[in-house]
Amino acid sequence: MLKVFGFVTRNPSLTHDEYRAGHVGYHNSFGRRLNNIRGYLLNVRSNTHLNDTFGEQVVDQLTRGEPIDFDEQWDGWGQLMFDSKEHYIAGRTPARDRADANGLQDDEMAGRVGGDFDYLYAGSPFQFHVDEHVAKPVIRPERKLFKLAQFVKRTADLEPDLFRAYWTGRYATLISQLPGLTGLVFNLRTSLDVMTEFFPADAEGFTSQGIERRNHFYSSWDGIIEYWLDDPAMFIDERQSGQHSQTITEMEANLFDRVFYREVDETVAVLPNRNLAPDFYHR
Amino acid sequence: MYKVFAFLKRNTALLSHDEYRAGHVGFHCCNSRRLKNLRGYLVNIWANEDLRAKLGDQYDAISFNEPEAFTDYWDGFPEVYFDDRESWTRAGTPEPTRATEDGLSIDEDWTFDDVRFLFDPVESVSDESTAGEFHSHHLHMEEHLFVPVSRPEHKITKVIQFFRRAPTLSTDAFQAKMLEDYAAIASQLPGLLGYVVNFQDENMDAAIEGYYPADSWRFSEAGRAHRAEFSNLFDGATEMHFESIEDFIKAMNSPEHQQLTQLERSLFDALWYVEVDENLIVIPNRDPAPGFYFR
Repeated sequence: MLKVFGFVTRNPSLTHDEYRAGHVGYHNSFGRRLNNIRGYLLNVRSNTHLNDTFGEQVVDQLTRGEPIDFDEQWDGWGQLMFDSKEHYIAGRTPARDRADANGLQDDEMAGRVGGDFDYLYAGSPFQFHVDEHVAKPVIRPERKLFKLAQFVKRTADLEPDLFRAYWTGRYATLISQLPGLTGLVFNLRTSLDVMTEFFPADAEGFTSQGIERRNHFYSSWDGIIEYWLDDPAMFIDERQSGQHSQTITEMEANLFDRVFYREVDETVAVLPNRNLAPDFYHR
Repeated sequence: MYKVFAFLKRNTALLSHDEYRAGHVGFHCCNSRRLKNLRGYLVNIWANEDLRAKLGDQYDAISFNEPEAFTDYWDGFPEVYFDDRESWTRAGTPEPTRATEDGLSIDEDWTFDDVRFLFDPVESVSDESTAGEFHSHHLHMEEHLFVPVSRPEHKITKVIQFFRRAPTLSTDAFQAKMLEDYAAIASQLPGLLGYVVNFQDENMDAAIEGYYPADSWRFSEAGRAHRAEFSNLFDGATEMHFESIEDFIKAMNSPEHQQLTQLERSLFDALWYVEVDENLIVIPNRDPAPGFYFR
């Protein structure tokens, strides 16, 4: 599937929690109607710092090279899934999903995702494609899971192809065996252009300032691991002092120049459907 | 949690079943997923090929006394979850969820005006008091969670088992036997990804008193008769989730199901099944709500 992430910074007129309500409420309600969308998640940075959840000492042990200004650059990130790039671009066209006196009609507000970009965000989203590796397919119970995002930057002397092979190989296998996990997905940012045609040509993201802002954000990490945790305490205990913890730490020293974590609150706006799409409207 | 099923028939003059799907899951849910304090929201739409066609003669072996043309009464039924009845009746209270030039604001375009085109309209009467009204069967359901639902990242099969109590049993005796004898075994059927028993509130008005205005057509003599005809068809509905329809068939052929067959004849006056396509609008969160806007 084509998987696209879009990191956003809230509009300065909004608090972080107001941004949540605007993104999860109004914006996601339109975004889930994009034509042919196959999955849509929103991850909002948690109000609780990981130091308060796991303890500062544990977080320090697992962290290296975290950018000081990282949280100033984003409040949340959306994840879109489509069958193809053509479907992704065509997602912005009107959706035929509104009943009126003449039957089912096109609604252009769906393709415009509610048209609130300028008021919800500060500048354009940092929108990029990821090369995905599903190490443990996600199973969601009917309650809010603890979701952890691990940001990693490849060591400079490791070739990108080797990095991908090692990262999604033995490292992923070891991590996937940690207890308390209900899903584990590796995402490597690629250079595929998923902004042109999706955003208007005069969007801030295409200005020199927008490009600089985006590249600065990208400079601190190359990949993101999504962890869905049923039991975060069990997971972190095993990661810190379990059977494979030393091996994992040594692998991280070889693989990553930077590694740092954030908790996010996940909204399932469209439950991803990795099977073939049914031949009727389904979300 | 306070759980409501709302059986809805499409506006057949304007929409096919598949057009209704798009209108309900698309535009309509774009608005309804913003109901205040909503804790879970699924939309179940009957599958385009019914179970009788998929199961053949086996369907008749597992069902009996199915109401004639049951799926003509409805095209889909949303199920919504709230913390309590008060949250449900106040769900239509607008909340600021739209970013505008004035900051976070109430969405002035928030609308349910599509309902008169999407759903089966109540025919006009001389005093025009039914203008804009539509037929609906909102039922408060008392749920019993036997196998909590776990959803993978692909479409799974959902089958609704509708049942009507045998007249020889009181409601209390029926529900006790259903939970202690029947569901205890049924929830062990192989391949289940979720098993939830729901009993219909005997008060047909439970879900709509305080939710719809007192002068709604639903509370008129004709409205009550219309709703009673439907709600009397069954006393409850069990949600069964499987990986595939083949797994459902395997479960119906399993030794566990053989144990149920005799119980079914003594417990139920009628028993039948409908496969639905579940649309997940808001994944139910059965834990306490977090202290921020969350869906």
